[in-house]
Amino acid sequence: MAQINWAETIWLLGPEVILTVGALVVLVVDFVRDDDRGPLLPGLTLITLGGAFLLSFTYLGLDRTALFMFEVDNLTSFFRILATGTSVLILLVSVDYVRSRSRHAGEFYSLLLWVTLAVILVAASSDLILLYLSFELLSITSYILVGWLRDEARSNEAAIKYLLYGAISSAVMLYGMSLLYGAAGSTRLEDIARTFSDPAVRVGTLDELVLPAVVLMLAGFGFKTSLVPFHQWAPDAYEGAPTPVTAFLSVGSKAAGFAVLIRVFLTALPMFQVDWAAVLVAFSILTMTLGNLVALVQTNMKRLLAYSSVAQAGYILMGLAAYVATDTSTLNGIAGVLLYLVAYLFTNLGAFIAVIAYEQATGSVSIADYAGMVRRAPWLAGALVVFFLSLAGIPPTAGFVGKLAVFGAAINAQLYYLAVIGVVNSVISVYYYFNVVRQMFFMPPPAEGEEPVRYPQAMGLALTVSLVGTLLIGIYPQPFLDLANVGRQFLAMLPFA
Amino acid sequence: MVPYVAIAVLFVLSTGVAVMIMMVGSLFGPRRPTPRKLMPYESGMVPVGRAMQRMPIRFYLIATLFIIFDIEVIFLFPWALVYRQLGVFGLLEMFTFLALLVAGFVYVWRKGALEWE
Amino acid sequence: MTAEQVVFVLAAVVTLGSALGMVTTRSVFVGALWMIAVFGGVAALFILLGAGFLGIVQILVYIGAIAVLILFAIMLTPRVMGDPNAPRYNRQWPLVAVMASALASLLVALVLRTDWPLAQEGAPTITGFAVELGKGFMTTYILPFEVASVLLLVALIGAIVIAREE
Repeated sequence: MAQINWAETIWLLGPEVILTVGALVVLVVDFVRDDDRGPLLPGLTLITLGGAFLLSFTYLGLDRTALFMFEVDNLTSFFRILATGTSVLILLVSVDYVRSRSRHAGEFYSLLLWVTLAVILVAASSDLILLYLSFELLSITSYILVGWLRDEARSNEAAIKYLLYGAISSAVMLYGMSLLYGAAGSTRLEDIARTFSDPAVRVGTLDELVLPAVVLMLAGFGFKTSLVPFHQWAPDAYEGAPTPVTAFLSVGSKAAGFAVLIRVFLTALPMFQVDWAAVLVAFSILTMTLGNLVALVQTNMKRLLAYSSVAQAGYILMGLAAYVATDTSTLNGIAGVLLYLVAYLFTNLGAFIAVIAYEQATGSVSIADYAGMVRRAPWLAGALVVFFLSLAGIPPTAGFVGKLAVFGAAINAQLYYLAVIGVVNSVISVYYYFNVVRQMFFMPPPAEGEEPVRYPQAMGLALTVSLVGTLLIGIYPQPFLDLANVGRQFLAMLPFA
Repeated sequence: MVPYVAIAVLFVLSTGVAVMIMMVGSLFGPRRPTPRKLMPYESGMVPVGRAMQRMPIRFYLIATLFIIFDIEVIFLFPWALVYRQLGVFGLLEMFTFLALLVAGFVYVWRKGALEWE
Repeated sequence: MTAEQVVFVLAAVVTLGSALGMVTTRSVFVGALWMIAVFGGVAALFILLGAGFLGIVQILVYIGAIAVLILFAIMLTPRVMGDPNAPRYNRQWPLVAVMASALASLLVALVLRTDWPLAQEGAPTITGFAVELGKGFMTTYILPFEVASVLLLVALIGAIVIAREE
């Protein structure tokens, strides 16, 4: 039994330690000061997240394992940065939202920190047991956050649907994991890869286990990333949850799901790429198409963004499905997935921030009530246009760069039909995004709502950051390409690829 | 495996005796129901109203808290068997585990979930 | 048929039969009682597999705490003893029956056909198992252990957030 070097471990797990301590401090301060509604708790949360965010950059370039199953490599660093960054933006918009809608705000901040920790743990797990536990931590914290507004029936309903769906898919996923464990005799992803890289095993009966195990595990991974047909919780959960939580689910939770997909398939099962890539291509096509088609008929902004989110997951999955192991250029699918996730972070969060701002001011999330927004809140309306351009993949935005990366990867892998379907779906999505734009710009506002929309400074800051990010990635993508290319380094260090 | 045989025998015997008592009672006992005999017993008074009031949610909360702390105790058992071999670090690891849950306990206490009335 | 095989068949029959009873009853309350029997059967299966500690934990936690919680939750619902007029199965039952049978046959075939690699050492002794578990928690599996405590803490927060009395 190898001895644990504690000093090194605490350093390697720095951001996680910061998040844990921060979350505990927020919890303690909350119950000591008895529902403090001032800036103390959000401030503490911000410091924790900011510290973890900045610290995460120092681990780029490492390839170490902490405590036997927490990988500190570039993939983890990428998701640490993504998760803490997402949570900072969510925090900025949730302060006003949470304070105005519920009596107890303190636990929300603590839970936000715990859920960020969970995303990082999921992304870094290299053992099925830790993976499952972190997955459950992420899920349970999300259920609580979705059901946060206890007094609203819709929030309760959303939480119940999310919980039931999540519990079942998690059970199915666990069964798939147990099949892999049975085959390899170990729950470590590397040991599974080692078992299957033995040529004697490949002609035996253990080989037949992999495809069913993969499909079963995809029930759980697909649930988190809202792939079709595991997406059915998404519209109701997104609609009923407090909107900042919806924003987090659509970006952070989804990112964790993609991190798992990348790590499990590439670390444990690289030799079965023929099998799982085919399955992923099928899921990608289903997800893109269904998400876009159903979004066409939505009248509620949150549901529209929910289905749009489902479709976006289909595009992101295309990057993984089109992964070419020997290609280390930017057009290998993994860089595409990571780049799209960064682009999607700014774009989708931005769109949700605008929705939250408008909801706080007018109380509505129905698209019909967005009529004439350009007169009441020109900055918001303009920002939303940019975010929609990005979601539809129109230059010069982040979404265009992301789509370029994944469609390019599909073409590079000679999956031409996949790229074509992706483009067709992007064209379809333009319709429903610009339906909202039409409402905002060309429809007359309701008679009584003529006063301008006000929103707090923190929200404005978050909105500006998202807007700048969306445009920056589109106009000057190089630094973000480099960040996504950390994926390349991850691939180079895989033992059995 | 052998020590468990005793438990199995105990289980089978107790189930058997319980079932037998109920079966014998229903087979051989007299059954002459009258409306008076079938009413729920309330020390001679005629019952008024429904039997089931809306159950206070406090019970559910107490049950949830019980589960969580029960699981915490379960984790203490295997640790207790080996802690001497593990030295200081074993102690510290368990203290971290317990610290997180003690924080939770104090949180529950301060939020008033432990108040009974 | 060794004694162990007899006990296994008994435990399996109890588990599966109770599970069947649980899903076919109209009353949720009776279903929860069947579920207690299922947990008992699973505890017996754990003991047969040599994981005595887990079997006892199963009884302590699942039957002693979780089943009680479920019963409390059921008693919070309006019709505890079930609606005798409610349809027993919903209209999708043919499709579900087909899919469930397909999944079951696939999984059973998979389990039976595969040449599973078997463990080299035999089942641990009764105290040996708990000692190995303890050592595992404190060394190799220390991170899942700590994550479990975070999970419990988050569950505590969630219980208060969702179920506290206002």
